[in-house]
Amino acid sequence: MTDAYVRTIASMGTVVTIHVVGHGANRVDETGRKRGVDAALAWFDEVERSCSRFDPRSEVSQLSTRIGARVPVSDLLFEAVRFALAVAEESGGAFDPTVGLLLETRGFNREYRSGAVVRTALEPDDDATYRDVHLDADERTIMLARPLVLDLGAVAKGLAIDMAARELRGRSFADFAIDAGGDLYLAGRNADGKPWSVGVRHPRDHQTLFETLRVSNVAVCTSGDYERRTPGDDGGAEHHIMDPRTRVSASTAASVTVLASSAMVADALGTAAFVLGPERGLELLERDGVDGVIITPALERFATRGMRAEYLVEGRSSGFDS
Amino acid sequence: MTPVKHNLVALGSAAVLAVYAAGYTRTRSAAQRFATESADRRPPAATPPRVAPLEPAATPRSESPTLDTAAASVLSPKKHVDAPSRAGGKASRHVDSTSTPPAAPAETVAPPVIKPPATPTPDSSAKAVAVQATDSATQPADQSRPYKDGTYSGWGTSRHGDIEATVLIKDGRIAAAIISQCLTRYSCSWISQLPGQVAARQSPEVDFVSGATESTNAFYYAVVEALKKAK
Repeated sequence: MTDAYVRTIASMGTVVTIHVVGHGANRVDETGRKRGVDAALAWFDEVERSCSRFDPRSEVSQLSTRIGARVPVSDLLFEAVRFALAVAEESGGAFDPTVGLLLETRGFNREYRSGAVVRTALEPDDDATYRDVHLDADERTIMLARPLVLDLGAVAKGLAIDMAARELRGRSFADFAIDAGGDLYLAGRNADGKPWSVGVRHPRDHQTLFETLRVSNVAVCTSGDYERRTPGDDGGAEHHIMDPRTRVSASTAASVTVLASSAMVADALGTAAFVLGPERGLELLERDGVDGVIITPALERFATRGMRAEYLVEGRSSGFDS
Repeated sequence: MTPVKHNLVALGSAAVLAVYAAGYTRTRSAAQRFATESADRRPPAATPPRVAPLEPAATPRSESPTLDTAAASVLSPKKHVDAPSRAGGKASRHVDSTSTPPAAPAETVAPPVIKPPATPTPDSSAKAVAVQATDSATQPADQSRPYKDGTYSGWGTSRHGDIEATVLIKDGRIAAAIISQCLTRYSCSWISQLPGQVAARQSPEVDFVSGATESTNAFYYAVVEALKKAK
């Protein structure tokens, strides 16, 4: 990848890198490339500023200070919440964005830049679910009917990736890659003129790749139980993907990788499938027309039909169990 | 299982279009900020006042650590010379995933200690480790030279273990930040790629790797700690 423009920032609790492939080396192209990438990266900060529950001043945090009130919000937050609620409904509550307080009390409460601990002044209401979040599409308001904190972690990063991709496409870039902490969008082709090759991390052995995929114009997002674990004394037994219905971390999958045209869709459905486990998770992915592979703690693989047919690189795709 | 109520793929596309249409002008200022950052690094506020969340573009923003580089020149020659000479043997660690000792994959194994090599190796390849020009959110606002020149180290902690970051301050600004020590339950090789190859995490095998990086946080805590000493 010699002929590529690469830029990295830290945003949304992770490291975000954009590669734009090629296009020669003249000044005009170079400047346009820089501007495009700057504009694309700006979306990450933009989304974070609306959607981060770790920042008391964010729009989403402000919602929790006005329980029971219809709060006018930006289009960005409104769309993120609307999508999160749709996934919640679609997954029968296996995905639920109202787990913010639960995550906070389990120790997922540190702002990544400052290390500051967030503590929301709300009594956790264990009965709160996504049904307690009321949207008014005409007025563009959100109302929280019970004391709760929205966690948009599985939606916001994907949305930012989608916005960045949209920004670059809008500027006529065809070949680029966006990497936000292992959630990816790959457009066009790599510097070798081939579809992008993407390794899916092995959920137990970080030195190896579990799969290698050849992809183009698709988002690839992986949810894993190895990602973030509770800082408590239990040796980190709990990870950050809670089953909202049982309020403990989900345990029937080790990682879920989803491919979709949108990173927001891939990330949220991957999280939902993770909670649902291999069989029902796969069912959800098939039903929503996206592709994916679910790896269990015993390292069994469950892949959607499309995943097996289209994406798995020859020679590495044998041995599927589903 | 609930019946299909939403076409999530269509809903996702609609959301992106709606946000794009509404937000296009708002992000312009942020984009300009990224563009001017490398030329004039304005020290950011750690907790920028944000009284008007609905019009974020008009308010100060918390700065992100930023790397700006072309792949062909990941490290400028100047920084090659500066980073090791300032950082000295204790700090600079040349990271090359292929040369990292294979660490024990199991969670039960004692933390591997990876010592930095005695002689740092400036390297023109894309695998060299120094982070270029990094801004941090911990910098106080409105000071043109927030940090004292020198080399500072700090530890960051994660559930998986500890990471020591070393930052090089030059002309009052962060010229480089590296992982100088790594004590984690897992292999350090992929963590080590964070500052240098940062998020691309490229390997000879693939362009990108899907799967999250749990120690990103530890790296930032470590950098924040190191920067406290630089004030």
